Amino acid sequence: MLIPRKVKHRKQHSPQRSGAAKGGTRVTFGELGIQALEPAYVTNRQIESARIAITRHIRRGGKVWINIFPDRPLTKKPAETRMGSGKGSPEYWVANVKPGRVLFEMSFPNEAVAREALRRAIHKLPMKCRIVTREGGDF
Amino acid sequence: MSEVRLAAEPRTEFGKGAARRTRRAGKIPAVLYGHGSDPKHLALPALEFARVVREHGQNAVLTLDIDSAGSELALTKTVTTHPIKNYIEHVDLLLVKRGEKVTVDVPVVLTGEAAPGTLVTQEADSVQVEADALNIPEQFEVSVAGVQAGAQIHASDLSLPSGVTLVTPADHLLVVVAAAPTAAQMESTIDVEGAGVVEQASESGEAAAQG
Repeated sequence: MLIPRKVKHRKQHSPQRSGAAKGGTRVTFGELGIQALEPAYVTNRQIESARIAITRHIRRGGKVWINIFPDRPLTKKPAETRMGSGKGSPEYWVANVKPGRVLFEMSFPNEAVAREALRRAIHKLPMKCRIVTREGGDF
Repeated sequence: MSEVRLAAEPRTEFGKGAARRTRRAGKIPAVLYGHGSDPKHLALPALEFARVVREHGQNAVLTLDIDSAGSELALTKTVTTHPIKNYIEHVDLLLVKRGEKVTVDVPVVLTGEAAPGTLVTQEADSVQVEADALNIPEQFEVSVAGVQAGAQIHASDLSLPSGVTLVTPADHLLVVVAAAPTAAQMESTIDVEGAGVVEQASESGEAAAQG
């Protein structure tokens, strides 16, 4: 799973969830991609699960790009603990995804199979997403 | 590339509120600049401009009929679109003269099917070329039909029309045709499981002191 090798601060404030993606809103490496339509914290487990969903469906002959990285730690206090005693321990690593961001890209000769693989991957993600192409839509 | 005539209105109010009012009225805020002149703020008809971009590409040359200021020849320089809703938010237009050479990004489009068992990766979407403002190619087609694994297509391999010169370095990589990855290769694309998170020394020392 994706996880930072080294961090400056082990515990951080929760990332800002408002606003839209400033960059990374176009498919630039592959032919098809998954674009987020809502803000979300995407955990490293969800990213890995979506990646496995894609690779298991296409089996071989394609390429997958992951455009996000879970670099923000979220903390959690243990169950049945009274409030206080400081901040909890890091529990998850998340990517702070804003609407418009392209999360995954893939290249595969058969577009129908590629779309089905991405559809399966979207089910592993915690927000509404859509499949976008490199050419983009007409205005 | 043919010229397109569009009616443009000068804009008198600026800022995001005014820009949103312009968009609600079915127009696109635009700015026209170049040749050392002061920028002119314009509003273009949204549907007609979208049709121009669809039919003539992102490097469309427009003849703008501006109220009481005559007509101007302009090249579409930047089209800003909304990342989700897919409408044009703003347009940058560059003043050009007939016979002037301009540097533009022209899209590269792949055609054909590569040899079986290969994976085609397009490394660059466009190449920069210098061309006459009124004769800008809409796109360059690169055929990958029957190309075998291990082949690379560079910018120098493009067949340019006469009067068009390449600005992008000739060795700029456009397309790579590689052997399609096997199932095992695809499974092992991420292999950082178990990589521990190491906090920087100063921070951990500080944390220990607090604890």
